[in-house]
This record gives sequence, C-alpha cells and structure tokens, in this order.
Amino acid sequence: MKHQSFDVFQVVADPSRRQILRLLLKDSLTINSLAEHFDMSRPAVSKHIKILHEAGFISIQDIGRERHCILKQEGFEKLQEWINYFDNFWLSKLEKLKSLLDNKIKN
Amino acid sequence: MADNIKHQFFFPHRPEQVWEYLTRAELMELWLMPNDFLPILGHDFQFRIKPMPQLDFDGIVYCKVLEIVPHQTLSYSWKSGPGNGKIELDSIVVWKLIPKDNGTELLLEHTGFRGFDNFSMFSAMNDGWFKNIQKIAELIKAANRETSKL
Repeated sequence: MKHQSFDVFQVVADPSRRQILRLLLKDSLTINSLAEHFDMSRPAVSKHIKILHEAGFISIQDIGRERHCILKQEGFEKLQEWINYFDNFWLSKLEKLKSLLDNKIKN
Repeated sequence: MADNIKHQFFFPHRPEQVWEYLTRAELMELWLMPNDFLPILGHDFQFRIKPMPQLDFDGIVYCKVLEIVPHQTLSYSWKSGPGNGKIELDSIVVWKLIPKDNGTELLLEHTGFRGFDNFSMFSAMNDGWFKNIQKIAELIKAANRETSKL
C-alpha cells in the first residue's frame, strides 16, 4: 500500500470520468470518438483521459493515426486494495471489541 | 469486485451493553480510536490516529452523525484526506444491533465510497475486458500488416 493514496477514489468521483469508463466498458474507443459523447471541449475530454491514464484506469494505444483508449485493470485493483484495507481494519477492530466485551463478562 | 464492506459479529451481551461501546467516546477509544464522538444527530466529530503521509492521510477521520436510534442503529460519515481539509475518501459507516435470545448481532457496513458504488458492474466485466483487449490486439496486428506492406 505504500506510495498510494486515496486519490484513486477522487479519480472515479468525477461524473465525466465515470462516463468515460462506462463507455469504455462497452468497447474500446479512440479519443476522438470518446469526445463525441461529451458537450465539453476535446481538450477537456483529453484532460480527463490523462487523469484516468495516470491513475491506471485506462491504457492508450497508438494505432495508425488514432489513439485508442482501453480499460486497464490496475486502477480498479487499487480501488479494491483500499476496500480490502478497510475490510481488514474493521475486522481487527471488531475482534478487539469482542475480546473487550468477553473480558467484561469474565470479570 | 466487492464495492462495500460488511461484517457481522455476535456478542453474548445485551444490545444496550454493546451500544455503550459504540457511542461512548471513552469506550470507543478502547477498541477503535481516540475521538470526540457524542451521540447527537448532526454532531461533527473526529477520529484521530497517527498521520500516514505515504497514504496521503493526515491521521484525521472527519465524521458526522447521520442517524442514531438508541440500541438499534448508528451511522456516520467517514471522510479523510491528506490535510488542509481536502477530502479524498468520502464514505459512510452504518452500525445495526439486532437483539437475539442470548445476545446481540452487530452488523457493520462501510459503504458509499464516493464514485465507487457505480462500479459493482465491474465484477461482471472481466469478459468484456478480454474482448476489448483481443480487439485491440487484432487492430494492432492489422496495422502492423499494413505497415509491413509499405
């Protein structure tokens, strides 16, 4: 978990970026065809794509003259790691609570 | 991909006894974290632990009591970030106590990871991924064939 941050939640908290991921879930798309789905400017779409790319949610392949965006598992795995982190956090806390309460009975 | 956290624990104690440990700051500290919780709807409070800069975590969990029904249910927001009030993790913790003949069933749900909820669909998407990756591989192959012809 070192050198990771909660940023990964921030990345998917943006509705436009979630929409991009949803579109890519159905099919890989070029940056141009992705941009067609949005009212915002193409540079604005590119910025979202850059953020998703840097966070490991998509990879970009240059094929011919086109840039294709493809979903990548890495970003989703990072999200999952955070969920697992909290899962373990609560489990250990609850075990502590259980032993506290159990001791209370004995005393 | 699981998009929420659920735990269920049985305690051979009455709900009122378990409730004490969920809602009295000094008892919460014994098993959870130092805090300034008060069992009042809308109360803002914090859990404080050691900052973990490598995780962009300033050591403070910012919370607000969202729901409180004595001995039955308690929920609070659970937010954290790197500092300066910046929030990167925005989620909700819900506790439910169910009375049983010989004790209490305690249910914990930590959910609502902002932006993450919508991604339960990704559990079903592995096939889609492979399909897309294959498609791209085909495209690359085709592009390479074109190039090699030149």
